[in-house]
Amino acid sequence: MKAPAKRTAILSILGALFIAGFGWIVATQGPLAPVAVTLAQAKEARLERRLFGIATVEARRSHAIGPTQAGRVARVLVDQGDTVKAGQLLAEMEPVDLDARFAAGAAAAAGAAQRVTSAEAALAEANSRALLAKNSADRYADLRKKNFVSQEAADAKAHEAAAALAARQAASAALAAAKDDVRRAQSEAAGAGQNRANLRLVSPVNGIVTARLAEPGSTVVAGQAVVQVIDPTSLWLRVRIDQGRSNGLAAGLPTEVILRSRPDEKLPGRVERVDWVGDAVTEERIANVVLDSVPDGLSIGELAEVTLYLPAVDKALAIPAAALQRHGGRSGVWQPENGRASFKPITVGASSADGLVEIRRGLAAGDAVIVHSSRLLADNARIRPVESLK
Amino acid sequence: MDTPAIKLTGLKKRYGTGDAAVDALKGVDMTIWPGEVVGLVGPSGSGKSTLLKCLGAVIEPTAGHMELAGEVIYDGVWKISDLRALRRDRIGFVFQAPYLIPFLDVTDNVALLPMLAGRDNAAARKRALDLLTALDVRHRAGAQVSQLSGGEQQRVAIARSLANHAPVILADEPTAPLDSERALAVVRILNDMAQQYNTAIIVVTHDEKIIPTFKRIYHIRDGKTHEEAGEGRPI
Amino acid sequence: MINLASRDVLHGWGKFLFTGIGLGLLIGATLTMAGVFRGMVDDGQVLIDNSGADLWVVQQGTLGPYAEPSSIRDDVWRGIVGIQGVAETGNAAYLTIQMQQAGKDTRVMIVGIEVDRPNRPGAPPYLTSGRPILQGHYEAIADEKAGLRLGERVRIRRHDYTVVGLTRRMVSSSGDPMIFVSLKDAQEIQFLKDNDALVNERARTATNPAFNRPGVPGLLEAAQASATQARNVNAVLVRLAPGTDADVVAGDIRRWNRLTAYTKAQMEDILVAKLIATSAKQIGMFLAILAVVTAAIVAFIIYTMTLAKVREIAVLKLIGAKNRTIAAMILQQAMALGVIGFLVGRMAAGLWGPAFPKYVLLLPQDAIGGFAIVLTICALASSVAIRAALAIDPAEAIGG
Repeated sequence: MKAPAKRTAILSILGALFIAGFGWIVATQGPLAPVAVTLAQAKEARLERRLFGIATVEARRSHAIGPTQAGRVARVLVDQGDTVKAGQLLAEMEPVDLDARFAAGAAAAAGAAQRVTSAEAALAEANSRALLAKNSADRYADLRKKNFVSQEAADAKAHEAAAALAARQAASAALAAAKDDVRRAQSEAAGAGQNRANLRLVSPVNGIVTARLAEPGSTVVAGQAVVQVIDPTSLWLRVRIDQGRSNGLAAGLPTEVILRSRPDEKLPGRVERVDWVGDAVTEERIANVVLDSVPDGLSIGELAEVTLYLPAVDKALAIPAAALQRHGGRSGVWQPENGRASFKPITVGASSADGLVEIRRGLAAGDAVIVHSSRLLADNARIRPVESLK
Repeated sequence: MDTPAIKLTGLKKRYGTGDAAVDALKGVDMTIWPGEVVGLVGPSGSGKSTLLKCLGAVIEPTAGHMELAGEVIYDGVWKISDLRALRRDRIGFVFQAPYLIPFLDVTDNVALLPMLAGRDNAAARKRALDLLTALDVRHRAGAQVSQLSGGEQQRVAIARSLANHAPVILADEPTAPLDSERALAVVRILNDMAQQYNTAIIVVTHDEKIIPTFKRIYHIRDGKTHEEAGEGRPI
Repeated sequence: MINLASRDVLHGWGKFLFTGIGLGLLIGATLTMAGVFRGMVDDGQVLIDNSGADLWVVQQGTLGPYAEPSSIRDDVWRGIVGIQGVAETGNAAYLTIQMQQAGKDTRVMIVGIEVDRPNRPGAPPYLTSGRPILQGHYEAIADEKAGLRLGERVRIRRHDYTVVGLTRRMVSSSGDPMIFVSLKDAQEIQFLKDNDALVNERARTATNPAFNRPGVPGLLEAAQASATQARNVNAVLVRLAPGTDADVVAGDIRRWNRLTAYTKAQMEDILVAKLIATSAKQIGMFLAILAVVTAAIVAFIIYTMTLAKVREIAVLKLIGAKNRTIAAMILQQAMALGVIGFLVGRMAAGLWGPAFPKYVLLLPQDAIGGFAIVLTICALASSVAIRAALAIDPAEAIGG
């Protein structure tokens, strides 16, 4: 009887192990298993708040330099990347007939000057004729008083004198007209010269040529840029921040900028300006950030990630943001209660960059909340707190 | 010795019908008394097996009369409705090979019969142990059948045939696979048991070693039996 | 009366157990198949539930956003949020991409969600580690199946994203793990092309005389800028105020906003009934075949086991065992085999289920149903063996 008893014992142990293993699998793998959760406590913490935005590098002032009227480009003297000084000639337009018009004006002025000289001569002659006629008329008037000459002779002389006077006035007017001609011809010539100067495109600032947009021979319309010049010291970042997260955005906030070209370098800066007008289409606000020192080789249009540091909330009751869940249309947290989960609606405030969220209402310090869970929690779900899932 | 354990009168068995009919038994008469060990001897095809099957209530004879411990069980038709219970309660079987149930241990092989008859397990096992003791295999009571020697198995088989106090035990070539010493031992046991339990035992055999031990022998030939006195040699 | 079946089982328990385990593995495969089907349905269900939406507003006439592409302007929410009963709206963008990760391609579904407040519609409802997306750009929450670790930086198209949180059971209807990013990032991923495409597109626009006309400076630049500024989303997820009839609001949106709106029930119909219908039938067929194979194998095993015991059964019958006793023995063995097979199968399915790339959901009711089916199959299969056993002639035990 000994051998069968031993065999029976072994078999029952095996059977028990088998059933136990089955039970273990059902209890731990299936939907009957309790939900593994991690817990945390609400506690006072310092909330470092940040905003995050995507930025592009832009020049604050960019000068698009082009002609004031349509024309053909004659010369372009600079190329992209050239450093230029204020007043430096950058490009020149084809003058077309401006030089000829200037020469014609000058010639007209010279002709007018000659006409002034001849008018002056005519005036002098008229003057002397008038003087002579007056003297002769005066003498005949005296002789008439003494009755040496007839009345007709004296009247004839007086008429001569009046005519000579009129001739002198005409000569004087002709001189004035000739002088006007000279002035007109001179200002015409000056105008042509000024137009000529407008064809010279010069840099208004000390800066760098960022674009050479037209080549000699190409025709540009009025206002079209031939050369673009920026002031490299005026580079800044145009940051776009989601409207929904832009609360607290203000000028003067310290920032940290990571340029796409140097992802390991954090460049300090600050918000210089916040645009009053946001982007209604993308639902973003726009701010400009200046860097404390502009690094070499910064290129316009480069992407950058900008972190803006909001003033920290020093002491706030906080829980991990992952604990915040929705249940039954309300926002709140799951709390452990005698090995089961129960939902508590709460109101939250600011959230911090490291994953904490401020409690406004609903929890007290030391209250435990469920942070992570292995499944979706439901009311009264059995839970099993663990250190970490997996 | 007033009531024979088994009494056959004119027992016939015909297989098939019409032209193809074969008469296996052509009128067997046989009377066996309780406590008697009788040999049934005959060549192959003599109707030996058919007679055994009829005795065992496994096949139905065609005609005749059969009495078991005074009760008529066949008289042209079965007089007993539950042949299965008849076999279980009143006929013991011992076969050429022991035909023990391999998945039961020795005790339960024997106790199975009383259990099938509706006895409770404890009583059945007690009966089994008693028989095992009587047959001198008590020490193997808890063993598996496969652990037993051929002789031991045969003893257990005999114990099983006795388990329900059957008035008749049919032993079909019980010594065939055994050497003469063991064969004689089995016959001795059968004799002892017949005496001890007052049971009639019919031993079907053609084993020359044991034939001389029977006091009475039925020869069967062409479907008929002839009774003879045996040597009755002591074992 | 002793139990013959258990004695027989215990006598040859090694053989019996191995047979049971073999059968169990087959049953395990069947259960897993059912689990795969349940998992598919559940994936769709979870996709709907976890989005936290009551209504899906998509491009008119499409089955979007999960089953069909849908594209609507990202400001249509302004028209929807004013409808009576609408509590909250959230734009969402969905796109499936190949993500290069650790040198191999992974298919993932990028989900763009609004992140200005916690738990906007579409956001994963729970995390298994990490935190939600708190900065407007370049942060991601990944499903664990994506194989990403917390804090890992992963490149998606043109930008690197930091994995800040992990979640679970967030997969697309085809089982691809989801990666949640902010909506603006998702729009950029979806609509911004790669550099080569951009350059080619610019060149194509530049050679188009309509956009590059002499004498109209700036036209080409304007055309090119407008080409890369597509502000679309795939769907607007709508949360309703409590007690609002979703069908009424959906009807309003369909009628007045000229968009298609689906309620939760309709979305389930699309995802569960339509999208996975063919796969479900496929699996159903396979399941049916597996069940037939299992039944055949059980029948075969039981039949073989019975035939191996012809002699014993004949002896039992000869010594007077009832047919019922013998039938009960065979039936009980078949049942025992079924029970062992089921336990092994359920255990195997539970063990290898999580290793499947897609979710395998083993429901208790499936297990119970499967158990009942296994037992029924075993009972039916044993009937063949019982018939054979009952046909055995007790005379066989009597030699010659």
